[in-house]
Amino acid sequence: MDSSVHLDNVVMQFGDFTAIQKSDLKIESGEFFSFLGPSGCGKTTILNMISGFLDPTEGCVKIGGQDMAGVPANKRPTSMIFQNLALFPLMTVAENIEFGLEVRGVSKSERKKASDRLLELVALEGSGHKKVSELSGGQKQRIAIARALAVEPQVLLLDEPLSALDLKLRQHMRTELKEIQRKTGITFIYITHDQGEALTMSDRVAVMSAGRIQQVADPITLYRDPKTAFVASFVGENNAIQGKVERIDSGIAEIHCGELGVLKGRVQSSVAVGEEATLFIRPEHFRLQAEEGMLSIAVEIEEVNFEGAYLTLSTSTAAASKQNLTIQLGAHQYNDDLAKGKALSLSYNVSDAIVIGGDSNA
Amino acid sequence: MLNQLKARFGSGLAIGIVGMIAIWLIALVIMPQLLMVDYSFRPNLLPADIGGPKDTYSLVNYETLFSNQIHLKIFFKTIWSSVLVTALTLIVSYPIAFYLAKVATPQKAALCLLLLIIPFWINEILRTFSWYIILAYKGPLNAALLGLGLIDRPIRFLSGDGGVLIGMVYAYILFMIFPIYNAIESLDTNQIKAARNLGAGWIRTHWRVIIPHAKPGIATGCIMTFMLAAGSYAVPALLGSPGSRWFTQIIYNWFFEGGNWNQGAAYAFLLLVICIGFIALVMRVFKVGLGDIAR
Repeated sequence: MDSSVHLDNVVMQFGDFTAIQKSDLKIESGEFFSFLGPSGCGKTTILNMISGFLDPTEGCVKIGGQDMAGVPANKRPTSMIFQNLALFPLMTVAENIEFGLEVRGVSKSERKKASDRLLELVALEGSGHKKVSELSGGQKQRIAIARALAVEPQVLLLDEPLSALDLKLRQHMRTELKEIQRKTGITFIYITHDQGEALTMSDRVAVMSAGRIQQVADPITLYRDPKTAFVASFVGENNAIQGKVERIDSGIAEIHCGELGVLKGRVQSSVAVGEEATLFIRPEHFRLQAEEGMLSIAVEIEEVNFEGAYLTLSTSTAAASKQNLTIQLGAHQYNDDLAKGKALSLSYNVSDAIVIGGDSNA
Repeated sequence: MLNQLKARFGSGLAIGIVGMIAIWLIALVIMPQLLMVDYSFRPNLLPADIGGPKDTYSLVNYETLFSNQIHLKIFFKTIWSSVLVTALTLIVSYPIAFYLAKVATPQKAALCLLLLIIPFWINEILRTFSWYIILAYKGPLNAALLGLGLIDRPIRFLSGDGGVLIGMVYAYILFMIFPIYNAIESLDTNQIKAARNLGAGWIRTHWRVIIPHAKPGIATGCIMTFMLAAGSYAVPALLGSPGSRWFTQIIYNWFFEGGNWNQGAAYAFLLLVICIGFIALVMRVFKVGLGDIAR
């Protein structure tokens, strides 16, 4: 069954405010797709457009190739898991799960069968008679999943459903969600501001900022080859160094970064000689020992933070601009020499650095 | 409570506060009621005979109602009409309350609430009298209906119970809207979205999700409206016709025209008993406890 979702040149405006800039995006059938962005970036608006709670100002939403314009929320083949779960507190667990089937006129015995099967899927067999208030946070979470799956949706929409859980449970639920997605084979559209969630679970991620889809890619590409300055600094940690492009040669740009001299990196977005550009180097790509072909930056340690598996060093460049750079090292590299005030030479591979046109603050 | 007050204000002031509340309740609320109950079981006598051999307790005053067919009819009609007023008010109020709580933008809701409240700054008698004018045989409503060609000749709204029902629905609508509005407002909007998302149409969403949640508010509104309607005097007096007398008018007549307080007290007490019975019934039907209503 085709359960793809196509945002066909959609625009969403609230009065003068444009919540979603013109976006065109196709989410494949059976894909685990995430929208990642800071709060207020418009990701929930997208979910509301797909589920039918909002109609796009321009363009249309297509589910399974069908234009959803004029199809009300209760007639769409989507089902949503709300951030606060929105379980019905006055109904039992089984009644919650069966609600969507009750609406569809499914007989009582069929409904019972379905809720038993779903309770088993979410590993809560025999909890059907319980009140919602008797469940723990993680159990409520699973009931919300079961309720959403009961109506056999083509598309499951998840609005930050894990944000209320504690860390351990959240990590556990990630695996479980992924597992359920694999078992059911339906399209999952996941909204989150937590990049860990987006990167670990998704087949593809759309990074959003200020109502605009910045980049759509699989998690590894997103991390390795961000196309915009926003993605480079929002996904993972990144050091940004401003400069002016001096030369571009076979995908490698040389940029003049003031007192730091000339640095090089892979060109990621359209940059032209003479223009402003930003060089991004991730903290884990810095080395303390230079190897063949590496470039180096002289810095001084400002702070050492030991974080268990790794340690981060906050440094500032020796040059007068005092540019801050963060370095991440494996814990095995720790030694007493690494202390505040020590001068270091940070080296990096040109292929690990990327250059994106424009000012990173833009 | 006394201990908490003592801890906060010291024992002198605490006893003073509690004492005043006690005096208020006992002397001004409980005693007069008990006095009325006492009156209702005694005959209406000349002042000289009170306390004399003729002053004995009996159920005669209560039996009067059941032997007077006209009064009995008015009694049941009052109860039935009050139920009708309550039902009509609920039907009118629920959509308004839902609109205010979940559909309207905050600014619009505030404006609507203000527009609903402003007329209630005016005395009930005057508001009721304005309906007397609106509903009059040659009044603006008939003129408008005639002008629109919806009727051929004016309708006598004020003969029969129609005028009283309209007047009461209007007079007590706020007592229904506010409890329901508060109840619906406290419902998480995601619950409504979840029901819609799972395929429920509007009727089922209301029936299964919104109304169950709003039940205590609906019960509170129904009880208040019923009590006010059953105990109303001004509306039936102004908008009623001789054929649509309210039981309160009979009670009034016993007290102030018949000069028979004992008889009036018995009638009033019977009305009170029926009203309390109605509250108990509503609470049973809606499966709500006193705690839910007090919320």
